[in-house]
Amino acid sequence: MSTVIGASVPRTDGVSKVTGEAVYAVDYEEPGMLHARLLRSPVAAGVITRLDTSKARELPGVHGVFTAEDAPSARAGWVLREQRLFDGELLRYEGEPIAGVVADTREQATAALDAIELEIDELEPIADPTAAVAPGARLVHPEWESYAPAGPDDHPRRENVAAELLHDADPEAFEQAFSSAHAIVEDEYTVPRQYQAYLEPKSAVASYREGRYTVHTAHQYPFNIRDRLAQFLDVRPSTIRVIGHHIGGAFGGKLDAGLEHYAALFARLCGRPVKLVNSREEDILTCPSRSNAIIRIRTALAADGTILARELIELIDNGAYSGETPWLTSIPMHVLGQVYRPGITRVKSTLAYTNTAPTGAFRGVSGAPLYFAVEQHMDSCAGALGMDRREFRMRNLIGEPYTTLNGQTLEDSALLGEAFTRVEERAPWTERAAGESGDGKLRGSGLAAVTWLTSPAPGSATLKLNEDGTLGLITAATDNGSGAVTMGITQIAADSLGLQPEDVVLLMPDTDAASYDAGSQGSRTTQLAGRATAIAGAELKEKLLAFASSLLEADIADLELEEGHVVVTGAAKRRIPLAQAAAAATFSGGPLTGTGSYATPIPDFNPGCASGMLFPVFPTPSYHVHYAEVEVDLVTGNVSVTRYVVAQEVGRAINPAGVRGQIQGGVVQGIGYALYESLESENGKYRERSLETYRLPLACDVPEVEIILMEHPGDEGPLGAKGVAEPPLVPVAAAIASAVGEAIGHPITRLPIRPDDVLAALSMQS
Amino acid sequence: MSLAISVNGTRHELDVDPHATLLDVLREELALTGAKEGCTEGECGACTVLVDGAAVDACLLVALSVEGAEIETVEGVSGDSGVLSPLQRELVDLGGVQCGFCTPGLVMSLTALLRESSSPSRAQIEETLAGNICRCTGYAQVIEAVEAAAAQKATP
Repeated sequence: MSTVIGASVPRTDGVSKVTGEAVYAVDYEEPGMLHARLLRSPVAAGVITRLDTSKARELPGVHGVFTAEDAPSARAGWVLREQRLFDGELLRYEGEPIAGVVADTREQATAALDAIELEIDELEPIADPTAAVAPGARLVHPEWESYAPAGPDDHPRRENVAAELLHDADPEAFEQAFSSAHAIVEDEYTVPRQYQAYLEPKSAVASYREGRYTVHTAHQYPFNIRDRLAQFLDVRPSTIRVIGHHIGGAFGGKLDAGLEHYAALFARLCGRPVKLVNSREEDILTCPSRSNAIIRIRTALAADGTILARELIELIDNGAYSGETPWLTSIPMHVLGQVYRPGITRVKSTLAYTNTAPTGAFRGVSGAPLYFAVEQHMDSCAGALGMDRREFRMRNLIGEPYTTLNGQTLEDSALLGEAFTRVEERAPWTERAAGESGDGKLRGSGLAAVTWLTSPAPGSATLKLNEDGTLGLITAATDNGSGAVTMGITQIAADSLGLQPEDVVLLMPDTDAASYDAGSQGSRTTQLAGRATAIAGAELKEKLLAFASSLLEADIADLELEEGHVVVTGAAKRRIPLAQAAAAATFSGGPLTGTGSYATPIPDFNPGCASGMLFPVFPTPSYHVHYAEVEVDLVTGNVSVTRYVVAQEVGRAINPAGVRGQIQGGVVQGIGYALYESLESENGKYRERSLETYRLPLACDVPEVEIILMEHPGDEGPLGAKGVAEPPLVPVAAAIASAVGEAIGHPITRLPIRPDDVLAALSMQS
Repeated sequence: MSLAISVNGTRHELDVDPHATLLDVLREELALTGAKEGCTEGECGACTVLVDGAAVDACLLVALSVEGAEIETVEGVSGDSGVLSPLQRELVDLGGVQCGFCTPGLVMSLTALLRESSSPSRAQIEETLAGNICRCTGYAQVIEAVEAAAAQKATP
C-alpha cells in the first residue's frame, strides 16, 4: 500500500519558495552579462518612415543598437509563420518591437532607447474583429498569401481571416428544424480579453558560445521555445539549449516566444550574455491574452423543451499575429456538443487579424467564454419556454455513451449526470438563494456544466537510481506552480520504487538533457509526463529487482520495494537497503536507469465533420458541474460570490491538497474573468496598463470553494489520474453570470459583469 | 551616496545611487533576491519587506529614505538556523504555495500581522492579504496556513 499516492505531501520546492532561496528566471544572472531593452511601437498601426540609431549608439555603456537590418528575416509562428524579430517597416500593434538596445546596465539601455530617433506614419488601426472582416477593410498582413504553415498542411484563411472553421452537418434538416420549431431563441454575447497576470514578468538570459545558443527562461514549454527560436534565428532546433528555472506563474502566457528570441539574437551580436526583462507595462501590452470575441447562438426548441437545432457563430480576435489561436477556432464545435444535446448543428468560427497585441492561450483557452455563452443561452431558452433552468438542462443533458459533433464517442459521459447529482446533494436547487435578502441585496444562483479535455501531447521521463539509493528524475515537464512536477510526478517517481518525495532529485528542465515534453498546457503534465514517469519507474524497478534477486538469492516474484529497501516477501530479515543494492549494481553491471515516454492515443473522430478543423478531438475528457450563489448590492451594483460549489471528475487525486489548490485557484481566476478582469482597447490601445488599473481578485473578494472530488480512475493516466488544473476556471463565469441574471432578473450578455451594467439593468426594470 | 542600514541583523555601509529603491539595494547590492519585483508601483506586494517592523513595498521606497532603519527580508525569517517559522512551515505543509513568486512578500506581510495579533480574525487576514496579490492559490490555503500558525503560537 502506497504511503505517497493520494497523500497531501508538500511540494518539494516549497521550502525554497518560503525562504526566498528559489531562483526564478528573473533572478538569474551570468558573469559578463549585459542588459537589453526593446524599443516598442507607440502606435497600433503605422509605417516606419525614419529609424536613426546613431545617437543611441554613442551613449555611455551601450554595446549595440539592433534593428531589422541586424536580424534574420525568417518568419516564425506556432501554426503560421508570420512574424519576424523586427518587421522593419509595418507596425501592427502597440508594443511590437522595433529595435533593441544592449548596454552595461538596464538604466543605460533605457537612456539609449530614448535617444533612438523614430518617425512613423500612423495608420487608422483595424481595432476590432468586426472591423477586420468588414468588406474593403485594410489588410493587417498585405502579404498574407505568402505565409507558410509551420506544419505540413495549410488551413482555410483569407485576407484578414487567419483561420475559419465551418461545420454544417445537415443544412436541410437544420433549416427544417428552425422552420418547424415551437420557439426560436437567439442571443449575442461579448467577452473580453483576460491577462494571465502571472506575478513574474517575462524575462530571458541568453548566451551564444561554441556556435550554440543557451537560453535561461521561466517557460511552460521549453521545447516549443527551442523550436520557435530555431525558426526566428534560422538555425536547426538542436542549436538551441533551453534551461528552465522556477516559473512565477504562467497560465498559458508563457507557452510561446516572449523575449527569448531577442535575448538570443543580441547575445550573438554582442558576444556576451544578455538579459532582457519586461516591465509590467510591457508585459501587459504584449501578453497573449485570452481572446476577446463575439458569440452568437440561435436555438430551435420543441414545446417539451427538447433542443431541435442549434447554431453557434463566433468571431474571435486574433490580434496582429496568430500564435496558437488558429487551433482555437475548433473549440466552439466541441463545446456546443459535449454537455447538452444540441440537435442539428451549424458552427462557424472566424479568427480575424486586428491591430492589437496577438491573443493566445489562457488556462482553459476558449472554454471559459464559450461555456459562458452557451449556459446563458440555456437560461434564455428555459425562460422562453417557462421552464426551470435546471430542469431544462437535465432534459437536454447528453447520455452515455455519447457521440459528439466531431464523431468522438465519450464513453464515460454519464459522469456529467453524476456531477449534477453530487452538486444537487450538496446544494439542492429548490433551496437555492434567490430573491431579496432584506438588507439591500438581491440574491441569485446559477449552475454550469463543462466537459473538458486533457491534452494528449507527448511527454517523457528518465529515472536514474543514484548509488546512495536516491532517485534522479530527468524530464522537461515544467512546474508552472501547479505542483504537477514537484508534487504529482515526484510522488509517482517515489512510489514506483517505494521511496518518499524527498528521495527524488529533480533536474530543472533542460532541452539538452531531457527528451521532448509538450509543456504545461491542457492539464497534461501529471497525466502524460506522469505516465511516462510511471513507465520509467516500472522499467527501473524491474532491473533493480533482477539485480537484487541474485544478491538476496530470491526469486524476482518474491521481491518487493518497501521504505527504501528491497525485501523478500514474508521474510522480514532478508532485506537490503536500496543504497546498497544501487551501489552494488552500479559497480558491477553499471548504473540502473529507466526511461518512459507517452502520448495519449488520439480517439476516433470524423474528419469530414467540418472544414478548417485544426483541433479535432477532446481526448481524456473530464466532467464538471459548478454552482454559484451571488449577492448583488442594489445601491452599488457590486456582485459578491457568497457560495461556490464544484463537483469535478479527477480520475484519481494523486495529491488532494494540490488538487484543491488548482480548483480554488482556478475558480478565483474565473471570478476575475466574470466580475473584474478585462483589457479594453481604445482604438487599438489598451486602457489597462498596470496592476493598479487591471483589477485582479483579492482575498476579500473570494469565497472558500466547496469541493466535491469525483474519482473514477481512467485508463490513460498514471494510477487513473486525469488532468485537473485547467477546467476549474472554465465554468465559473457561466455559473456566476447565471446567478447574477437570476438575481437582477435580466440576462447577462457581456463580461465582465460590471457594477454600472448591473445598475443599468436594474433601472431599466424599475 | 552613503547609506547605513541593518538588514536581517547585519549592519551594512553602502554607497548607493540616489535614485535606487530599497528593492534595488536589497536585490542588486546585497544579493537578497527573495523580495521580488512584480510591478514597481506598489500594487502586487511581492517586494514586501519590514522596515522597523512595518510591512512596506520596497519597490516604492527610495533607499536613502530608510537610513538607519532595521530591515527584515524573507531571508531573515528562518535565519541562519534554517528552521522555518510556523507560518512558513504551514504555508508549505497546507498547500499555501504554488508558483511562489508572491510568497516572500506574503510571508513578510503576514509575519508582521502575526506579531501584532496572536489570533488574527479572518477579516484581518484578508485585509492584510489585500496588499499581496496571489494569482495561483485563490488564497484559501494561505489563510488556513496563517490560522494554523497563529494556533501554534497560542498553544505553548
